Amino acid sequence: MISQFFVLSQRGDNIVFRDYRGEVPKGSAEIFFRKVKFWKEDGQEEAPPVFNVDGVNYFHVKVVGLLFVATTRVNVSPSLVLELLQRIARVIKDYLGILNEDSLRKNFVLVYELLDEVIDFGYVQTTSTELLKSYVFNEPIVVDAGRLQPLNPAAIFMQGTKRMPGTAVTKSVVANEPGGRKREEIFVDIIEKISVTFSSSGYILTSEIDGTIQMKSYLTGNPEIRLALNEDLSIGRGSGRSVYDYRSSYGSGAVILDDCNFHESVRLDSFDLDRTLTLVPPDGEFPVMNYRLTQEFKPPFRINTLIEEAGAVKAEVILKISAEFPSSITANTIAVQMPLPKYTTRATFELEPGAIGQTTDFKEANKRLEWGLKKIVGGSEHTLRAKLTFSQELHGNITKEAGPVSMTFTIPMYNASRLQVKYLQIAKKSNTYNPYRWVRYVTQANSYVARI
Amino acid sequence: MVQSLAMSGHDSKYFSTTKKGEIPELKEELNSQYKDKRKDAVKKVIAAMTVGKDVSSLFTDVVNCMQTENLELKKLVYLYLINYAKSQPDLAILAVNTFVKDSQDPNPLIRALAVRTMGCIRVDKITEYLCDPLQRCLKDDDPYVRKTAAICVAKLFDINAELVEDRGFLESLKDLISDNNPMVVANAVAALAEIQENSSRPIFEITSHTLSKLLTALNECTEWGQVFILDALSRYKAADAREAENIVERVTPRLQHANCAVVLSAVKMILQQMELITSTDVVRNLCKKMAPPLVTLLSAEPEIQYVALRNINLIVQRRPTILAHEIKVFFCKYNDPIYVKMEKLEIMIKLASDRNIDQVLLEFKEYATEVDVDFVRKAVRAIGRCAIKLERAAERCISVLLELIKIKVNYVVQEAIIVIKDIFRRYPNTYESIIATLCESLDTLDEPEAKASMIWIIGEYAERIDNADELLESFLESFPEEPAQVQLQLLTATVKLFLKKPTEGPQQMIQVVLNNATVETDNPDLRDRAYIYWRLLSTDPEAAKDVVLAEKPVISDDSNQLDPSLLDELLANIATLSSVYHKPPESFVTRVKTTAQRTEDDDYPDGSETGYSESPAHPADGAASPPTSSSNVPYAGAKQPAPAPASPQPAAPVPDLLGDLIGLDNSAIVPVDQVSTPAGPPLPVILPASAGHGLQISAQLIRRDGQIFYSLLFENNSQIPIDGFMIQFNKNTFGLAAAGPLQVPQLQPGTSAATLLPMVLFQNMSTAPPNSLLQVAVKNNQQPVLYFNDKISLHVFFTEDGRMERGSFLETWRSLPDSNEVSKDFPGIVVNGVEATLDRLAASNMFFIAKRKHANQDVFYFSTKIPRGIPFLIELTTAVGTPGVKCAIKTPNPEMAPLFFEAVETLLTSY
Repeated sequence: MISQFFVLSQRGDNIVFRDYRGEVPKGSAEIFFRKVKFWKEDGQEEAPPVFNVDGVNYFHVKVVGLLFVATTRVNVSPSLVLELLQRIARVIKDYLGILNEDSLRKNFVLVYELLDEVIDFGYVQTTSTELLKSYVFNEPIVVDAGRLQPLNPAAIFMQGTKRMPGTAVTKSVVANEPGGRKREEIFVDIIEKISVTFSSSGYILTSEIDGTIQMKSYLTGNPEIRLALNEDLSIGRGSGRSVYDYRSSYGSGAVILDDCNFHESVRLDSFDLDRTLTLVPPDGEFPVMNYRLTQEFKPPFRINTLIEEAGAVKAEVILKISAEFPSSITANTIAVQMPLPKYTTRATFELEPGAIGQTTDFKEANKRLEWGLKKIVGGSEHTLRAKLTFSQELHGNITKEAGPVSMTFTIPMYNASRLQVKYLQIAKKSNTYNPYRWVRYVTQANSYVARI
Repeated sequence: MVQSLAMSGHDSKYFSTTKKGEIPELKEELNSQYKDKRKDAVKKVIAAMTVGKDVSSLFTDVVNCMQTENLELKKLVYLYLINYAKSQPDLAILAVNTFVKDSQDPNPLIRALAVRTMGCIRVDKITEYLCDPLQRCLKDDDPYVRKTAAICVAKLFDINAELVEDRGFLESLKDLISDNNPMVVANAVAALAEIQENSSRPIFEITSHTLSKLLTALNECTEWGQVFILDALSRYKAADAREAENIVERVTPRLQHANCAVVLSAVKMILQQMELITSTDVVRNLCKKMAPPLVTLLSAEPEIQYVALRNINLIVQRRPTILAHEIKVFFCKYNDPIYVKMEKLEIMIKLASDRNIDQVLLEFKEYATEVDVDFVRKAVRAIGRCAIKLERAAERCISVLLELIKIKVNYVVQEAIIVIKDIFRRYPNTYESIIATLCESLDTLDEPEAKASMIWIIGEYAERIDNADELLESFLESFPEEPAQVQLQLLTATVKLFLKKPTEGPQQMIQVVLNNATVETDNPDLRDRAYIYWRLLSTDPEAAKDVVLAEKPVISDDSNQLDPSLLDELLANIATLSSVYHKPPESFVTRVKTTAQRTEDDDYPDGSETGYSESPAHPADGAASPPTSSSNVPYAGAKQPAPAPASPQPAAPVPDLLGDLIGLDNSAIVPVDQVSTPAGPPLPVILPASAGHGLQISAQLIRRDGQIFYSLLFENNSQIPIDGFMIQFNKNTFGLAAAGPLQVPQLQPGTSAATLLPMVLFQNMSTAPPNSLLQVAVKNNQQPVLYFNDKISLHVFFTEDGRMERGSFLETWRSLPDSNEVSKDFPGIVVNGVEATLDRLAASNMFFIAKRKHANQDVFYFSTKIPRGIPFLIELTTAVGTPGVKCAIKTPNPEMAPLFFEAVETLLTSY
């Protein structure tokens, strides 16, 4: 059980503070903030999520730039506390639509009401937005969605594609829309974060997909929903089967998950039979299913890096990005980074002719090359040339002192695993009942790295 | 300027809001007649509370808003109460009635809310009232109420364990384990587990019966409830392998849960039962089942990953096979936070084997060229540790290290040299060929550990390094400036060199070093070591050889390897903080019993847990700060083992007066509080015994800590015991009413009892013109209702925030019309000591502002305020030491003037 819960701003201001047990001395928020801000222990400069100061254990997670913190004096389950902190953030977001300092401050009364139902005497009671609705009476005050940071990957749906209603992700699950009526709709997002490490010769050293089927339901009456996945989906890499076996060669074949888990509302009665999930979605945003796969997949981007010495104190870098996905798909907000040797003093860039929406930068402070591309259409290739000048002569080790090249991107309506929602069936209340269903895919880079 | 005070002037605004403090403004709003305004005001108070402002002075005003049907408002008031009840325990009593009433409300939400909140108010006097509602709520029809009541038992146990046992709450709690609602079960388990944790007696023992009941409940529970149950069950010791297998079978499906806490708690439970399982097939199968969920934890948020990694670190030490094939998942992602990277490195070292070492080395080499210096160092060290761990891979590790040295990144080189020294110690006489390469970097070393390592290598292999003497000599120049670590190594290395090559050069060097290390140093370790070498060398060089050049024991990689008994303990604590810190729980859990913790606020002496003792033990160290108002509360029933309140002056014995008050009634253990009994004159007798059928009542309104109390003394001069006291007030000018029940124990004949009754304002307002009449009725079980009249003195209403700045005083004075000015002469009053008088008035919240001379008289200006922010501006004119005081006041409520003059008279004459 926890003693206190509080939310601090980036500057360390108390936004929310709730003491459940009165056993931690005053000033814990200040002690915590000072410790985190000036962390220097075990040769690390970033505080771990759990630490102990004078007998008080502090847990924290960062959510949209805010610090969600819990304290306790006893030997609790740390994963419970950290998970709880994440969930509190999610519940608050469900209620407020937008989670940021401003919305928290404007809605502090509601937030306290929520906190009192979520935790009693330090024990978690519930973090289900659905259940909480029957105990919580304050109405959220909606703040302007103007310049907020996205809380989760689904937030990208707000930008790009026009087919998506822009307000969906920032809509409170309890507040009615201006017209007074709630729009009947349900969002199912398949969000995949991919990690790939390419060797210097372009081979894939490691690759992994962390996926989530996330649901956010605005359906009244909580009808039952059936979600059908690929029929040939299988779970668990058989211990005997090699990863090079015919089923895993990419391009065709079954989707094999290493492991997956499900939200507690999901019933798996017919999952083994026809790969359908049945659930009555609670209100609010929640992951229906998390999955992980290391089965080989076709990486969306290939990165080619060429670095050549051009004289004693000069070198040239050529970066080439090829998009290996269909041309009907467009990746956006692509950023490529490459650490350069510490003694680099200058970098000049040369983009391909006619390049638009691209930016280049040499970050003097941490000696890093940065290349930004607004979008990349499937099948295309982009190249950047950079001329580097050094303050000292090279030892012939330039490839060891530069790189690796890392890349971040978002690709809407694309998923690398080929896991699909084949259909989304909502138990019908009447013939005229036809709520909006949004099934959306997005792939994001987690750790996408090419060594040189 | 002062003269201008007398000017009456423009009709400016009464008070500009900016000048007014936040608190008085809120106070006013809280007492507004409009519901919405009150609700807004409470919200503002809560907002101020969150940002750390002290709004405790609004306690009464907030509590006044409690009686409402509006749940939203009620919750807010309750939130406020929880926060400030501790600092205002006597006022928290005000809320009791509403709590008790709410706990019987038809709406289950209100019932639960009342019980939940009462349990959070850690005030002993309230605890008493909690018992009956709690008993009812534990058996409530609504599961929401029951689950709240279950937790409330744990709250109560924390405040008063004895009470919980006496009232049979533990049994009720155990009954709830079989409740049909899983939420209730989960909370009952959590509450029992906590109670057990803080009790030395067995209270919550997991029998095989409870076990099977809870395992069944597990499937129905919410995710959090599952964690409570799994953690509670992890204390269960299965009888044999078969039972263990059964348990595991029922727990295994939890591994599939999306909540990481559930997964880890299930892992803990399975690991524990596995110790009992003998079948290797079953164990192997379980290991296989646990691997994927453990790996999946690494897809969670980095914070959870960290916890998972710390746990996995322990698990692989005991059962390396679980994740032996999963080393790839521990490869660092470039965007992992540093604390995750560091933990992954640790596990990679633990999982490194001859089979995967090439892959691992490739990773480490990559990490060693990254940007983060700490991470790079750790990666280099990791290569060294792999070399020490895996003999067959040592050579490959060393070649990677040499490659890294060639990049000539300073800190990489230094770190590499440190680990190479360890490799030499692990594999003596095997890899000396690389020494030449190492020596190339000699002059770049600037870190003590690296320098010391290099010097050790030179000394150890002096006979194979042609220019060893030159190399060492280059360090000697700076000997006095080197850190101790380097000096010690230099000393030893020079001795080794001399013993191996006893030529002229080394002999000279040894002279220099020994001289430096004995005469020129302040470091005793260095000096002692130097003297020992010196003596050895001078007496028996052969013996010196045997000692200094003796064969060293081969090291193994034991860094970060835990002691087996500690590992056992930590494994038993998987999925707890202990497994994250890698420390046994007792080394960091310093849970102060909350009762003891409370001394900070409530000044209960340490002995309070043991109940009341006849002579209250005062904290021996006298550290207790002067008591707040904790003990001002009327004492409660006789049975309550009330903690003895600390005396404000520990040295002073309990005054005799109190002895009298406690009387002969030994059955009523009365925590009579010294503070509550006014040290001043005895209370005026309001109802003589003759009029009260033998019961004499003395009473007076008093103000303490910003609150109004009715101080009462009951003396039973009749022949019968009297009990069941109740009190009521008639409508009066200020709407004074009792804020809580009158708490007087049964009065035996010939005994007396004193009490402080908290009062609230504006409850039953009289519409008559302002007057000082207070009509009181007292009832008890034995006598007819007794009526008596008391007189309200306005000065008890003077609020603490009545001080005005000169500027606003002037402004207010001017803004009020002249018709609002009233004056009165007190021919009989003499003001003697000016200072003393001003102090006394200030103590009654009549604040001095300025003074001026007028002829032979002094004119004093004061300000004061009464509730709802009504100010009084006062001008006192008198010649000090001569009878006669003239008092002129200006106020927006001139009809209060007669009352005010009475109060001033009292204040000026009451000494």
